[in-house]
Amino acid sequence: MTAALSCGGLGKRYGDLVAVHDVGFSIAPGQAYGLLGPNGAGKTTTISMLVGLLRPDTGTVLVGGVDLAREPLRAKSRIGYVPQEIALYPELTGRENLRFFGRLFGLPRRALATRIAEVLDLIGLADRADTKLGTYSGGMKRRINIGAALLHRPEVLILDEPTVGVDPQSRKAILEGLERLVGDGMALLYTSHYMEEVERVCDRVAIIDHGRIVADGTRRELVSLVGGADTVELVLDGDVEAACAKLRAVEGVAEAVRTGAASVRLMADGGRYLLPSLITAVEGHATVTATQVIEPDLEATFLHLTGTTLRD
Amino acid sequence: MWRAMLTVSALELRTRLRDGTAIVIALVVPVTLATLFGLALGGDDPPLRATVGFVDLDGGEFPASVRREVTAAEELKGSVTLRDLPSGGEARRALDADEIGAAIIFPAGFTRSVGAGEGGDVTVLTSPRSPLAGVVAGAVVDRISAVVDARTLAVRAALLAGVPGERVKELVERNGAAGPALTLTGDPLAGGKVDLAVYYGSGMAALFAFFVVGASFRSLLTERKLGTLDRMRAGPLAAWVPVAGKAVVGFALAMVSVCATWVSGTLIFGSSWGDPLAVLAVLTAHVLAAAAITMLVAARVKTDAQADGVIMVISFVMAFLGGSLVPLHSLPGVLQAVALLTPNGWTATALAELAGSGASVAAVMGPIGVLLAIALGAGGLAVLGLRKGMLL
Repeated sequence: MTAALSCGGLGKRYGDLVAVHDVGFSIAPGQAYGLLGPNGAGKTTTISMLVGLLRPDTGTVLVGGVDLAREPLRAKSRIGYVPQEIALYPELTGRENLRFFGRLFGLPRRALATRIAEVLDLIGLADRADTKLGTYSGGMKRRINIGAALLHRPEVLILDEPTVGVDPQSRKAILEGLERLVGDGMALLYTSHYMEEVERVCDRVAIIDHGRIVADGTRRELVSLVGGADTVELVLDGDVEAACAKLRAVEGVAEAVRTGAASVRLMADGGRYLLPSLITAVEGHATVTATQVIEPDLEATFLHLTGTTLRD
Repeated sequence: MWRAMLTVSALELRTRLRDGTAIVIALVVPVTLATLFGLALGGDDPPLRATVGFVDLDGGEFPASVRREVTAAEELKGSVTLRDLPSGGEARRALDADEIGAAIIFPAGFTRSVGAGEGGDVTVLTSPRSPLAGVVAGAVVDRISAVVDARTLAVRAALLAGVPGERVKELVERNGAAGPALTLTGDPLAGGKVDLAVYYGSGMAALFAFFVVGASFRSLLTERKLGTLDRMRAGPLAAWVPVAGKAVVGFALAMVSVCATWVSGTLIFGSSWGDPLAVLAVLTAHVLAAAAITMLVAARVKTDAQADGVIMVISFVMAFLGGSLVPLHSLPGVLQAVALLTPNGWTATALAELAGSGASVAAVMGPIGVLLAIALGAGGLAVLGLRKGMLL
């Protein structure tokens, strides 16, 4: 089966800075693929190359088998791009925004009105379509932002942080809508800071760091990379930096990252049994006031592979 | 792709009409300012003084007659001065240095040639920077041409009729074909007058063309900030569509603006800007140059706020240096030369030539060519910059 979206050997440099190096993956129709990475990891650069906003220095992008570099218009007609920001006109109504992008993307005038109604139903905004976008809540704007990318019935939907600043109700509506689209056979490339969203929506996840994909697989495959390591959250009172250094030296601790003014996160084998050693290790520098041990999950894998939390 | 471009244009036009910039900047402000300037300062003609170079390589009766006539003409007293120059080359040098405004060159043997019924050519050099001198020189040479034509015809007729050569001159002059005596009829300065209302009207038109067309390219940066430009660029449409869609509206609104200023000036003050076709050609070339320059600004700055500032500074500097705010003839010599580094300078020069002399488009092909060259040069650089800045 032809992949809905595939890329290989993608690379982009800015002078001496390597923004993206040898990135490649493939998304089948009806598959949701998550791209996870800390800020500056190369996610947006990668997406920009996938949607034709940036020309890669190396590598190829195929959209439904069509080479983006050779036939950009044909390839782009198969992509729906949802940018991170609300890329819409605040002085127009929701329907007018959709009409503008529908016309721009070549939808016939007669079919456009029907398609706009379908999309408004899909994103649950049919009753607010004729009020100005400037009066919408953040979540409603996000939904129109996604709707504008669906008008031309793309085969692959690329979403860059689509739920930033969205209220829980709108987030739920957006995720349900995306799940329906994937269920109907649309391919999805999804980036988010919200690990639980990626775990819910995506069948497969790539972790990108310093411009390279460091792991790629299903949730289960990625979690298994951590082995038996648990995440241990500690709340400390005292010299947290010195305590963090001491914790790194404890046998069985693979990672120790300060996550707040008084909090530290550890990756440790058999974390639950290691607690007494951890409490002893920080004595003289700090006192442990709270602990939590979390079994391995995608976030733990992310921490293990990148050495940072996703929201760093 | 044209449908996509028209979609962008329609939204741009709608936005400009909704936020009022199209009406206020393109129509209300330039027409009002041009009218106020015209009422306050118009009506008076600019100082009519011109120096015409006079190169007499003939030394015969014809040049002498012209010199007598120009010196004696009441209409030219205090306004036109003849300066004798030794050669055509020296006349060209003096013209380029703005020491003279025009030159009349009589070649060697001119009087003898005309007397023999062979006609003759007088060379006239003019400068667009001194339309008055050009008009005077042109009027004088037109009169010379008429005299020469009549004389040549009469001499040929006499010779064909078998009149002996030595009697032809006396016969021709006795029977009314004018000799070398030259008479300037009418007021040769009439065509050289340019109402200041025309200067200020055309100046405002030239200035506001930058603001009007610049607003469209500025909105390209606003679209980049909104993210809508990236959404368009990621869609299935050619990269030039967003830029072209906005450029079309900017150009059209700027043309409406300059034409409205022109028509309002003509209706309110009754002063002509010259041959309508030629004026339209000059204004079109000016708007193209302004479009290319403001597009270059949009390509080089980072934000729409920066674009506002830079376009305003460039517009006013070019307007001042180019004679849009102060008539070129009122500027010091150095600034008159600097004016030709700006599109406004060429536009002002061309419009003064058209208003002053009533010339056709052929007379201003030079300035139009320069304006189009500016448009091409700045436009080319702008395209490179737009690509680099991910606007194209």
